[in-house]
Amino acid sequence: MVKKCLIVLGALLVLFPTMAFAADEPSAGTLNMGLNALWVLVAGVLVLLMQGGFILLEAGSTRMKNAGHVAGKTIFTLGLCSLLYWAVGYGFAFGPDIGKFIGSGDFFFNPAIAAGETDNYPSTVFFVFQLAFAAVSLSIAWGGFAERAKLSAYLIFTLFFSGLIYPIISHWIWGGGWLAEDGSQDFAGSTVVHLTGAMGAFAATILLKPRIGKFNKDGSANEILGHNQVFTALAVLLLWIGWFGFNAGSTVAVGDGFFGYVAFNTQLGAAGGAVAALLISWLVNGKADITTMLNGALAGLVAITASCAYVEPWAAVVIGLAAGVLVFLSAKFFEKIKVDDPIYALSVHGAAGVWGTLANGLFATRTLVEKVGVGRPGLFYGGGAHQLWVQFVSVVVCGAFAFAASFVVLWAMKKLIGFRVSEEQEIIGLDLSEHGTYGYPEQMKKAAQG
Amino acid sequence: MSDTIAELRRQREEAQTRLAARFGADSPEEVSQALNALHDRLIRRVLELAEQEMMRTGRGKPPVPYAYMLFGSGGRAEQTFASDQDSGLIYADAADVARSERNRSAMPGNASSGCTFRDDFVARYIRAYFLAFAETAVGYLKQLGYPPCEGNVMADQPAWCMPVSEWAAKVDGWFEEPSWENVRHLLIVADGRCLAGDRTLADGLKDRYFRHVADRPAVASRMAENTLRHKVLVGVFGQLLAERYGASAGTLDIKYGGYIPMVNAVRLLAVRSGIRATGTLDRIAALAQAGVWSAAEAAEAREAFAEFLRLRLLASAPREDGSLPSGGQLPVRLLAREDVDRLKKALRTGKKLQRRIERETRAGFGGR
Repeated sequence: MVKKCLIVLGALLVLFPTMAFAADEPSAGTLNMGLNALWVLVAGVLVLLMQGGFILLEAGSTRMKNAGHVAGKTIFTLGLCSLLYWAVGYGFAFGPDIGKFIGSGDFFFNPAIAAGETDNYPSTVFFVFQLAFAAVSLSIAWGGFAERAKLSAYLIFTLFFSGLIYPIISHWIWGGGWLAEDGSQDFAGSTVVHLTGAMGAFAATILLKPRIGKFNKDGSANEILGHNQVFTALAVLLLWIGWFGFNAGSTVAVGDGFFGYVAFNTQLGAAGGAVAALLISWLVNGKADITTMLNGALAGLVAITASCAYVEPWAAVVIGLAAGVLVFLSAKFFEKIKVDDPIYALSVHGAAGVWGTLANGLFATRTLVEKVGVGRPGLFYGGGAHQLWVQFVSVVVCGAFAFAASFVVLWAMKKLIGFRVSEEQEIIGLDLSEHGTYGYPEQMKKAAQG
Repeated sequence: MSDTIAELRRQREEAQTRLAARFGADSPEEVSQALNALHDRLIRRVLELAEQEMMRTGRGKPPVPYAYMLFGSGGRAEQTFASDQDSGLIYADAADVARSERNRSAMPGNASSGCTFRDDFVARYIRAYFLAFAETAVGYLKQLGYPPCEGNVMADQPAWCMPVSEWAAKVDGWFEEPSWENVRHLLIVADGRCLAGDRTLADGLKDRYFRHVADRPAVASRMAENTLRHKVLVGVFGQLLAERYGASAGTLDIKYGGYIPMVNAVRLLAVRSGIRATGTLDRIAALAQAGVWSAAEAAEAREAFAEFLRLRLLASAPREDGSLPSGGQLPVRLLAREDVDRLKKALRTGKKLQRRIERETRAGFGGR
């Protein structure tokens, strides 16, 4: 018995040496830094996990013959995006500012191995966190490419989007650029991440034109159903969970626990979106549509992303509910103007991103604005229309820039090397045409025989 | 014979084109009535021709009396320009044959064989005769442009061509075991109408049917569950719920989104109240007479149903090139403003009726 106790005690001492040497205490600053670093890295990993959500979302919403391609290319472009962001992207976003337009410096980022005396966190952790955001924005853009873009198009677009377009916009709002100066409030990136990605998707889907069979000659639309609704639902849950890193992590500090409030508002926004979207589709179409409901949850998350740190709980609910209704109407609208948006990126990330950013101009409270330290209170909290105008400008400018830049890159690529696969390749599926094997070999073979 | 059928087909097409031209001038009820009189006439004529064909091929006259039943829209006398065949055949039992002097000479076999054996033989002979007869008639009707019923509810199917005793046993079984499929059969039989032959055979079966309904109120609630699954295509805001995708995008399924739910609701109330009329408008009138509905309610239902009847006929009317459109898809965009308003009003009435039945069913028998 005594022997056992000694062994356990010994093991504990090895595991927790501080217990034995209590005198060697870290300073309060180091502790604070360590806690921040831990939280931000965990949040960064959560945001990275959202790629799993995008894989399932995109694969589930598309057809079986493209599943392997759709899923696999997300991992490939995540890798490419990481290299690009390390080489140049991070430097353009957070390097020393040039004329409030772009950063420059820190290229081929070579960080210090540990945080300095006065740092809030190590720069490595900040890099990982920011990289995860850049990758999310890129994966949003893929929604507009789905089921018909060549693999080479993914490669080339990643170079420009992750290397330049996204970093420029994030510099404007988060890196000390001209919109930051203006007091534009975008806490975790409704505009920076979501609207930017959605604009890339928009440019792509316009240049690619609709998938074969999406619209009839008389202008009516066909429903091209995704091959696995369970994937799509699971994707939304993964994204939802990852969003706690996205929003709550954006405090980039543990501090007084304010990140908890941000997480709390995030949950309310997502919930509102899911509920409102299901109800509106039920009311208008007579059937409660699962896809719309899932889009609603995501739209709620996208919308609350800008405002999660600036608004009261009731406003978070309102923002989520409105996003759920908006995503339904927006999807109807894009279908009406014959824009094929297979993953609903334009509605979920675009329309809801715009709404979320504008919502700050309405609901931002004085107390929270003071706490975060950006901009002014919104229209309903005595701030007048000033903040609403600032929000509006940042949406228009960022949206226009992201769209125009993406459009130019993709248009040039279309002219030079082509953007879309051939009709035959599209019909047999990108799994086979781009990679030579099916994601679902048995099923696809069976389908070919049948 | 094929010449005669071809001639009948020509007559049908001609008459239908004439009837289609009467839209606007006459009320939908009148057009529908005339159209169904035409269908009835044609089917009766086909049955005569089938009997002649049986004689011509040496199989003789029908050995026992029979009743040719129409089910579905035929039974309700609500066929459109392009309805399919739903039919059945009831014939007298073999045991009755012994008493039937009239047909004795037509029967093969003789009295020296054992009684059971002989009865069995006769029964099998009769069964084969009527199956062949129905097959001939159904075949002619196909040639006449009446497509076969997708659910195979047709007189040439053994399941729907039986002696009266077997029909009775079957109906008893359906009431005994009201599974989803059996209740569907009961609903089909509820619309059954004797078109030709011996009416008393059909009436006897109906007597039995309505006795069962009175004894087993729970079956009526199963009928409600079975029929309420087709939703009236009008939304909470009174908006039309048209198809959103595919070739028929922008059309409203007037058949399954208006007409059928109303038929189902009215049938259910009629059957519960022991009303034997099969036509929906007749049932509505009878419901008012029996005091189940007030005069105002009946008038409202009548108006709504007439609207469905009209639009359904319109959607199935022969096109300019003479071809017949298939389902009851109504292109909403092509409707005039006041037509849309009338349609919405009718749909709202249908929905109200459906709701009421749902409520009453729950209240009377408990929900599930």
